[in-house]
Amino acid sequence: MDLIIRNGRLVDGTGLPGFLGDLGVADGRIVHVGGRIPGRAAREIDAAGAVVAPGFIDPHTHFDVQLLWDGQARPALEHGITTVVPGNCSLSLAPLKAEHRPRLVGMFQQIEEMPDAAFDGAFEWTWESFDGYLDALEGKLGVNVAPLAGHSVIRLWVMGDAATERAATAEELTAMQALLRQCLEAGAIGLSTSFVDVDEKLQPVPSRYAHFEEIDALASVLGEYGRMLQVVPEFYATDITLARVDQLAELSLKHQIPTTFSPLFDSAATPDNVNRVLARVSEQMARGARVWPQVQTRPIDISFTFEVASLMFAFTPGWYVTMRLPREEKIAALSNPERLDELVDAAEPGGNIERFESVRVRAVIRREDEALVGRTLGDIAAERGSTPARVMVAIALANDLQASFLAADLGHNDPARIGPLLAHPMVHIGASDGGAHIQSFATYGDTGYLFRHFVRDRQDFTLEGAVKKITADTARIWGITDRGLLKPGMAADITIFDPDVIDRAEEEVAHDMPEQGMRYVRHARGIEAVIVNGELAWSTQGGYSDAHSGRVVNA
Amino acid sequence: MAEATIERAVVTPGHDGSAELLVTIRYGNGGSGHVSLDAGAAERLFDLCGVTRLEDLAGQPWQHLTHILDTPGD
Repeated sequence: MDLIIRNGRLVDGTGLPGFLGDLGVADGRIVHVGGRIPGRAAREIDAAGAVVAPGFIDPHTHFDVQLLWDGQARPALEHGITTVVPGNCSLSLAPLKAEHRPRLVGMFQQIEEMPDAAFDGAFEWTWESFDGYLDALEGKLGVNVAPLAGHSVIRLWVMGDAATERAATAEELTAMQALLRQCLEAGAIGLSTSFVDVDEKLQPVPSRYAHFEEIDALASVLGEYGRMLQVVPEFYATDITLARVDQLAELSLKHQIPTTFSPLFDSAATPDNVNRVLARVSEQMARGARVWPQVQTRPIDISFTFEVASLMFAFTPGWYVTMRLPREEKIAALSNPERLDELVDAAEPGGNIERFESVRVRAVIRREDEALVGRTLGDIAAERGSTPARVMVAIALANDLQASFLAADLGHNDPARIGPLLAHPMVHIGASDGGAHIQSFATYGDTGYLFRHFVRDRQDFTLEGAVKKITADTARIWGITDRGLLKPGMAADITIFDPDVIDRAEEEVAHDMPEQGMRYVRHARGIEAVIVNGELAWSTQGGYSDAHSGRVVNA
Repeated sequence: MAEATIERAVVTPGHDGSAELLVTIRYGNGGSGHVSLDAGAAERLFDLCGVTRLEDLAGQPWQHLTHILDTPGD
């Protein structure tokens, strides 16, 4: 045996109670689960006191680009994620003709906030076809990758500039079907499309020009392989989302395919949204359709700076009007003591500082202010004998208006509503957006957040139930048959963690993108080891290993 | 039938972590609907309505919204 994990609490992904025992691995596969395994293996891990679970699967990521220089999808791997699904939201790096690369880069930068450095010299474009992209990943992967093919790039390949002008002709539909078939043959786990996203010119992405007949035609190809259709619906409008649920249900039933849409958010501003969507999903599931809404575990934060007139300042005319001034006038106004007093009085009426007290400093440009990053304005104000609003203005001015601030937990943030929602049998936990929005917030650690808040704190899930949701359930929904369970014959993707500690760490700034590019990250707490296809990929003691045992997986 | 009007507007977090404006429209027949605006569109709505406070959007005619949605910003 290559690996024996001893004395762990085996939580096998079925949802059944965990049990103590050993787990054995040989040739990248699980060969023994439970009891005491005699003899010795080449590597042994003592997991006493820890949970041994199937590796977690993240079904909504945008690691397409990052995987080319970081096949471990850091820091997702250290959170116990052993399989990622990139290529969501109609965007993938293949199939893509060389002439269309600038278009795709623009879309990625607009939608996923990938910086220039991520594309400029960080890797060599060696491919056009889908299998060529997978070849480019060959030997680099530390996680498993189940890639979607993007509808927008398929459309771009076949229609060129007309992809953002009109509906497809019958001949173009046939060509798109053939191209999708090539992607699926090469290893794509499905197709992604979007009804929402815009490109760098704020124009609809190519997939949005498709008539329903086009999506139906492409879904028929998915039906030949039984593979997934992922959709971004108009999630901000309940009635339209309901119509999309019905469309997906028709496609699912007609072509016998699974479908998933993301995201589905809860919001105090639209409190009936989730209930109405889930009721419609339940009706369609009862008909036999497979329409899986993806719900993220983490709350949504708002980031803002003084450079633009964020709606965070629309609470009083004084602030909003000031923020809309031209830059130099804005600086002059904020530097005027009398004007500042008026603004502070409006934000903190009667000395009530709660509006900005819990806001955190996210980023600064002055080196001497770097120690402020991560601290709350209330904390800094107390230290300086000032108030949060006054301190915020001071930091903004000192940093040439380029300091950024974070108001946390402003949406999708009521645990009493989110917990039962996540535990709903027809909800697919996902929508992390891992690898995207990297300069706005950290998209890592949603699984740790799940265990911390909805298993330990609120007990919306049993430990076993939460593990099942992000392993076996995910694999079943996506048709991944050899992962998601601790069972002999399954791929040895394994996450070992302390159930009393697992969590996401605080958000922090990292300069680990190409050319020291900045992004926000969260590291893991309570994860002890992560094993991918039988190889130790990450551990508390050793960090990331040199193993590149990840593979392309599909249904 | 009475004209549809903006019933209220609240700031909500968008999918990408930016602040958005969720506008509730009340129709003449009593029904309601929502429109979500990004910061730029919200600025144009404030200008079209001639207001500078969220609260003052209430009661404004809904046609301002269709104008914004028909004429994307810079």
